[in-house]
Amino acid sequence: MATRRTFLKLAGAAGLAAPSLASAQGAGRVVVVGGGFGGAIAARTLKQLDPKLSVTLVEPNPIYTACPFSNSVLANLREISQQQFRYDGIKGAGVTVAETSATAVDAAARTVTLADGTKLSWDRLVLSPGIDFDWGAIPGYDEAAAQKMPHAWKAGAQTVLLRQQLQDMKDGGLVVMSSPPNPFRCPPGPYERASLIAYWLSIWKPKSKLLLLDSKDTFSKQRLFQNGWDQLYPGMIEWVPLSKGGKVTSVDPATLTLVTEFGSHKADVANVIPPQKAGVIAAKAGVADRTGWCPVEPVAFESTLQRGIHVLGDAAIMGAMPKSAFAANAQAKVCAAAIVELLAGRAPQQPLLINTCYSLLAADYGISIAGVYRPDKGLLAEVPGAGGVSALSAVGGLRGQEALYASSWFRTVTAETFG
Amino acid sequence: MGRLLLSVLALALLSGGPAQAADAPPGASSCTGCHAPMKVTDSVIPRIAGRKVADIVTFMREYRSGAWPSSVMGRIAKGFDDQQTEAIAAWFGAQPE
Ligand SMILES: Cc1cc2nc3c(=O)[nH]c(=O)nc-3n(C[C@H](O)[C@H](O)[C@H](O)COP(=O)(O)OP(=O)(O)OC[C@H]3O[C@@H](n4cnc5c(N)ncnc54)[C@H](O)[C@@H]3O)c2cc1C
Repeated sequence: MATRRTFLKLAGAAGLAAPSLASAQGAGRVVVVGGGFGGAIAARTLKQLDPKLSVTLVEPNPIYTACPFSNSVLANLREISQQQFRYDGIKGAGVTVAETSATAVDAAARTVTLADGTKLSWDRLVLSPGIDFDWGAIPGYDEAAAQKMPHAWKAGAQTVLLRQQLQDMKDGGLVVMSSPPNPFRCPPGPYERASLIAYWLSIWKPKSKLLLLDSKDTFSKQRLFQNGWDQLYPGMIEWVPLSKGGKVTSVDPATLTLVTEFGSHKADVANVIPPQKAGVIAAKAGVADRTGWCPVEPVAFESTLQRGIHVLGDAAIMGAMPKSAFAANAQAKVCAAAIVELLAGRAPQQPLLINTCYSLLAADYGISIAGVYRPDKGLLAEVPGAGGVSALSAVGGLRGQEALYASSWFRTVTAETFG
Repeated sequence: MGRLLLSVLALALLSGGPAQAADAPPGASSCTGCHAPMKVTDSVIPRIAGRKVADIVTFMREYRSGAWPSSVMGRIAKGFDDQQTEAIAAWFGAQPE
């Protein structure tokens, strides 16, 4: 057990707010904003760890549509309904679900205002609002343009729209994708998407091509992806890095044209994944900095800008940890345990966290990247010597095994969160 | 090790033994993203709740050294030292199967 002195030292070092001792006087009140991979499991774990807590989850959508495996929906390997989850399990676990959006946060008064006008008081607030797009970062790309050139980076109607466009495309057509600069949701995601679109094209529209315009010169699991593309889809995917003119500088949705520094490309199907920032409620709550993302300390993920507000998942700056559902889930469970300790006036433990992100290059071809993380100098840093990507040369059925692990992970994490 | 296991067991009993006890040692809560606390259909990833503590420790050591080949567990096991591994194993061993 940590003593009060070590806690004060730790709290000072980590910039944690003084414990409010809420549960010492009765039950504490925690409000969680956002019922995705971070928020939903945070709310559920809080209630599980301390059933006396009052936990409210604020989420406007009655059905959550998960992004992981949504690229398989594009390739017709899954239905969108297999991506969808309800909040009944979470309600059953004793969490109050408010089916509306949070519109304002008063950090000083410790309240959050909801779209239906209700004001909720909290001892601790957890924000896991995911991402919003930086509309206007690419001239011509706005919400109306996304109906012609879908981003499909929030799964749901956008995913179905992009799949429909692919199915309506003629054989021999050109699919153009654009990948955003760092940091963004799911670093290997655009490359998994290019792979699975190529997988589908190679079966149904084999004369077609995919051009992947990138705002970066390197990307996650790059050699594994590029080796796989050469082996599985020779000549089908052309990747254009930043230094070769890959950065999209504007788009014209009327003609499906993407303009880069070096030229312009007219697409038959265009998938623009725009630059991103923390979900807008983060900026309204005053927890986002000039980068558009939220700085947090690495023990309880409390904002370094506003006391009492914790930020999880894609919205937060988590040091070396990537923006993934696996990471949001791991952070949420650490945060929930830390909040229970803080409310009881005790020191949260120094955490260790794991991330593992699988990507599919074909239905039965999976690769992964993993890492182990710990607090170091105010940020989450990788534990040296651990982590890394799948072996470059696959022995036996390794790629098939990793594809099975990928779907097993998805079943497990969604059962743990929504089941 | 034995004492640690006992105290973990005692805590689990006192708190009613939820799969997410606040006393879970560092790293343990990340494992359940893949190694489900509950039974999951169609998962090829083994459950570790309620397994023999010594077996979990042996697997983790062999994953770490590479003696037992793996896709991802070797990369993860390298992030945990003996003491951290033993604490996690003791905690999972004390969870209901
Ligand atoms: C194509 C694609 C593939 C991916 N594949 C993987 C993968 O294989 N593995 C992996 O680990 N990750 C993957 N990811 C990443 C993963 O989806 C995200 O990292 C994860 O969803 C982050 O969780 P979150 O809680 O931060 O945000 P989200 O899951 O987006 O949840 C945010 C929630 O907050 C709600 N919300 C927002 N604002 C408010 C408000 N003001 N009030 C109330 N509610 C609000 C939203 O409605 C939403 O439900 C993928 C992403 C994409 C796009």
